[in-house]
Amino acid sequence: MSPRRVSHLFAVRLPLVGGAPSAGDAERRLLTRARKGDPVAFRTLFEQHSPAVWRFLRDLFRDDAAADEATQETFVRAHGKLGALRDDARLASWLLGIARHIYLESRRTRGTHLDIASEENEPLLEASLPSPTPEELLLNREMEGLLAEALGELREERRSALLLRIDHGLAYEDIAQVMGWSLPKVKNEIHRARLQLRERLAGHVGNGGHS
Amino acid sequence: MSTPCRESELDALLAGELSAEDAERVSAHAATCATCTRALAWLRTERGWMAQRARRMPSRPALRFEALEAKLRPAPAPRQPRREHRGWVAMMGAAAAVAFMALSMAPRSHSTSHGAFASFSSEDAWSQGMVSIARVPACMDPSVEAVALVEASFGACLLASPARPLP
Repeated sequence: MSPRRVSHLFAVRLPLVGGAPSAGDAERRLLTRARKGDPVAFRTLFEQHSPAVWRFLRDLFRDDAAADEATQETFVRAHGKLGALRDDARLASWLLGIARHIYLESRRTRGTHLDIASEENEPLLEASLPSPTPEELLLNREMEGLLAEALGELREERRSALLLRIDHGLAYEDIAQVMGWSLPKVKNEIHRARLQLRERLAGHVGNGGHS
Repeated sequence: MSTPCRESELDALLAGELSAEDAERVSAHAATCATCTRALAWLRTERGWMAQRARRMPSRPALRFEALEAKLRPAPAPRQPRREHRGWVAMMGAAAAVAFMALSMAPRSHSTSHGAFASFSSEDAWSQGMVSIARVPACMDPSVEAVALVEASFGACLLASPARPLP
């Protein structure tokens, strides 16, 4: 079996609904038009990316109204700085980076302490947690609430990095850029975030689940 | 385990980010490793949950473009009105200069019945009027500096002045 076929067996390419589409030619054309001041092009970009930006901000603020305001601020700033985006293929990560910057500004304004993550190498996997069953792929309301709680318990930096990966599908390199981290640190933090999440949810899935 | 189990590699495998060679290596290992099999099950579940969560996202008024549009309109530049104001002052100053000059020259006119401008001729000594306005000691041939002083007092360039060479 060819390597490509083997990898295909493991690949689960779930669509990122409301998330960032791959920056194809259409998006590049939209960006070019938006930079020239075409409001229709900017509107299209807004409509494509604002749901993902809002969701990211909602996960950071854990507050709908704050996410509303910060989403608008993200696109106001993006509108004024479109010329600063050098790689059109990275529009999604650029927008999410602006969004996180706005979140951090807001936190600093409120005087909230920002935790600092450690810079360690990615730990190896440990075989301690049960596996979720295929049925548990379905996210029921109860599990959605538990997931939201578990995400909320992660410290902000870990939560951001994890969500940029598993919700927004950013490459590790792009996450490193958004977070201002080294690549090993990105991998380490995302791994630790996942372990934390699983430990929190392990009692509800797989062998230990009651649903 | 013959290969250290790194979740980022399994994650990259699921995302289709690995090269063919790396995908082969990681896949071959994962197929025989219970730990990686469990990790892959979690990774798939997380992705599935995130996709479903995204689909259920509530519609928000803030995500309507109309809500953003007003904020995108460029606000009037703060300096703009001041420039306009200065422009008006300059125009008014120039108009006042012309009026003052005309009035100051009018008594010297031989014919007052046609108004100040009707009395104008190229032979009139414009410089006399300007000097008298500026209260510079009487002189039939004022210096460039004296004319500049008059212009400065009005905040405008008196282009018609024969005493100042045109740029």
